[in-house]
Amino acid sequence: MDVLINLSLNGLATGMLIFLLAAGLTLIFGLMDVLNFAHGGLFAWGAYSGIWIYTTTGSFLVGILGAILTGMILGIITERWIIKPVYGNHVQQILITLGLMLVLSEMLKVVWGPNQISAVTPDYLSGSWEFGGIIIIKYRVFIIAVGFAVFLAVQYLLKKTKIGLVVRAGVMNKEMVQSLGVNIQRVFMFVFMIGAGMAALGGMLLGPYSGVIYADMGMEFAILAFIVVVIGGMGSFTGSVMAAILVGLSGSFMAYYVPDLALAANMLLMAVVLIFRPQGLFGAKG
Amino acid sequence: MSTLLKLEQVETFIGQYHILQGISFEVPKGEVTVLLGRNGAGKTTTLRTIMGLNTASKGSVLFKEEEIKSLPTYSIANKGIGYVPEDQGIFAGLTVEENIKVAVKKENDETQQRLDWILDLFPDLKKFWKKPGGLLSGGQKQMLSIARAYVNDNELLLIDEPSKGLAPIVVEKVMESIQQMKDKTTIILVEQNFMMASTIGDSFYIIDDGRTVSNGSMNLLREDEEMRRKYLGIA
Amino acid sequence: MMTRMFSNRMNIIYLLVAGFLALLPFVYDSRSLLILLSQVFIFAVLAMSYDILLGYTGIVSFGHAMFFGIGAYTVGVFMKRFEPETSYFLLAVLVTILLTAVVSYIVGLLTLRLKSHFYAMLTMAFAGLFLVLAEKWRSVTYGNDGFTFRVPEFLKDRTDFYLICLVSMVIVFILLKRFTNSPLGRVLQAIRENEQRTESLGYSVLQYKVIASVVSGVIAGIAGILYAVSLRFVNTSVFTMDITLDALLMTIIGGVGTLVGAIIGAGIIEFSHHWLTELAKVHWIFERWIIFFGIIYILAVMFFPMGIVGSLQKLKFRKKKKASVPVGSETVSQGDS
Ligand SMILES: Nc1ncnc2c1ncn2[C@@H]1O[C@H](COP(=O)(O)OP(=O)(O)OP(=O)(O)O)[C@@H](O)[C@H]1O
Ligand SMILES: [Mg+2]
Repeated sequence: MDVLINLSLNGLATGMLIFLLAAGLTLIFGLMDVLNFAHGGLFAWGAYSGIWIYTTTGSFLVGILGAILTGMILGIITERWIIKPVYGNHVQQILITLGLMLVLSEMLKVVWGPNQISAVTPDYLSGSWEFGGIIIIKYRVFIIAVGFAVFLAVQYLLKKTKIGLVVRAGVMNKEMVQSLGVNIQRVFMFVFMIGAGMAALGGMLLGPYSGVIYADMGMEFAILAFIVVVIGGMGSFTGSVMAAILVGLSGSFMAYYVPDLALAANMLLMAVVLIFRPQGLFGAKG
Repeated sequence: MSTLLKLEQVETFIGQYHILQGISFEVPKGEVTVLLGRNGAGKTTTLRTIMGLNTASKGSVLFKEEEIKSLPTYSIANKGIGYVPEDQGIFAGLTVEENIKVAVKKENDETQQRLDWILDLFPDLKKFWKKPGGLLSGGQKQMLSIARAYVNDNELLLIDEPSKGLAPIVVEKVMESIQQMKDKTTIILVEQNFMMASTIGDSFYIIDDGRTVSNGSMNLLREDEEMRRKYLGIA
Repeated sequence: MMTRMFSNRMNIIYLLVAGFLALLPFVYDSRSLLILLSQVFIFAVLAMSYDILLGYTGIVSFGHAMFFGIGAYTVGVFMKRFEPETSYFLLAVLVTILLTAVVSYIVGLLTLRLKSHFYAMLTMAFAGLFLVLAEKWRSVTYGNDGFTFRVPEFLKDRTDFYLICLVSMVIVFILLKRFTNSPLGRVLQAIRENEQRTESLGYSVLQYKVIASVVSGVIAGIAGILYAVSLRFVNTSVFTMDITLDALLMTIIGGVGTLVGAIIGAGIIEFSHHWLTELAKVHWIFERWIIFFGIIYILAVMFFPMGIVGSLQKLKFRKKKKASVPVGSETVSQGDS
């Protein structure tokens, strides 16, 4: 029982981190038809800048805000200078975002050195609760809560605001949205910024969770996020959260019971989905 | 009567294909100008070029005497041009309400009045207010698309083959509504259904092989059987 | 006409360069240079195989390391398990060809139907599966750490091995040149330029793409064999994304769709890697050499999608010939989805 609950919490927490990364990917894909292979780089930049700010200022909250801000700024730069010039050309998009991923990870090493950096949990979030013999680690619950809050916030944004409406309409028919007088470029930038901010937040939260941050963490998590985006259906926001939880849980349970096959199982799942149901398990772009 | 829109020797490429090779026409304010021509003549491309969805490589597109040829689509739309595309462009996953909301630029009394007016014209839309656009019938989609273009205070509406694929009785309904809107805005109507076009239209232009080849008042075309046969394949 | 003349002159240049490289070990005896050049030739083979996909067919694979790794492990396992003899080596080559052909055929059939993004990700997943296989199938692969092995007599001498690599590269270059100029190669280029049009002309695009991916996979396998032999060691790194990235960088920087570009790209990257690593002793920033290439690469994709060779050719032919089509130029129209 103890093990089951902890594995579930662990899986949920990891799932939420993956969700933060995958949500942006899937929205950006749905709206702009761009698969951003550099998204993991934004995640890692969030982690480094956030942890750096956190250790410098001593405030975890400021660190989080700093991470999000860094992510957003990088997101705007990416959208404006890297992706915009190659809209509509898929091959060039893939190539250029991959190149950006390289540059982003190497830049991390240039700025913060090639070694991994340790990240500690702030006092008020460290430790655990005990309920009837079951130990629950506070920070995991914190990650789940934050992930869930972000999910609700974005859901609100998409469902209840004008810009959200425009984004959903844009996913379905870009030309028509423009014909109705919407400057879609601005919407692109907005969505990219939000997506990048979420990714950076995810990276920052991962720091204290795993104890260390390192430049390649971006790529590692990005692969999981890609798997999630495919399983959830490219462009589907709700799909991304479901699939992220699925992948998080399967990762956590597999790692415990059959550790050798954890990543392979997810990869296989993605391959099977791509081959038999390329639109994803949870619906797809309309 | 003043000219609202004027195209002069417009040429448009799609990819490497030279689709429009010389389109010229004038749309007088307050009238319905009908574009006719056989399938593949370039009518849709002409409307798309006006909207900036395809870019004219030569010639000029003047809206209220201002060149809009190289403006992005959204600013063309914001100058006061509404577009009802051939495929209606309904957002399938959005409800009827949301489909209209996306379009609304100013939420004020005037918009509300226009909305009420058009909903009275198309009571079906009111009935299915919360239904996803993708589940509407062909005719209802057409109505929604027209309502969406109308709800803003647009000076010009581009309507692409609203009768396409609709049952005759629905066509009549749609045409009736266009007839009614006629008093309020200027309209460019692309229509294959000559009977319909001729009852609504004031003047016509015939497009053939990407060029405007003939024009005149609608009455003229009604009488000129030979021209109809030559360009439209109908008698 | 012009092309014929041009290619004749080019052929002479290629011949001179190849001759020079063949004589080099006899006039300038530097062990480290030979090793470095062998490495260049090996990666040139890999990059050329990648160019068949990227430059000639217009598809981006993230799983190319899969075939490289299969070659490397096959030869490693054969040399380790059996005897390091010529016969077993040849057997290993044969098995590599068979394995890579079968794997690339199956993977190609499964993946090439998908649109470019999905294809890239699915190939990445397949390569990932091979990586996991190499890590976990310890009884054969010795896990992460890999294993060393001995090589047959004729591969032992550095100069001989250098020459073998050079000859392999030249043969692959000639074969692929023929391949790309064949009617089949023309169809591939037509696919790159406009997939729909090619399909509507009655060609089965999928079938041709699969052929391209098999050719490319087999040759990448050969490169993997040479690579493992050069190190006399193999570990899981041969299956990592880094190998695919190297091939990608080399092809893009050298110039896609030219084959020579891949060779030049391999030379540039390998030599700079070598020198910049040396320079890292002077200043640590040079250790992050890949960043320079990342930036050059991004600029190349953005401004010179045809790479060094492509841009030079374009300059040369500007008046005489219609410019060749840049990498994967799909119809670029606003808001196409
Ligand atoms: N994306 C495209 N690529 C290539 N050719 C196109 C494209 N879109 C349209 N065309 C061609 O442009 C020409 C004009 O098309 P257009 O849709 O404007 O005709 P139309 O007059 O509206 O015809 P219809 O009455 O059938 O709607 C046609 O020959 C068509 O094949
Ligand atoms: Mg049409």
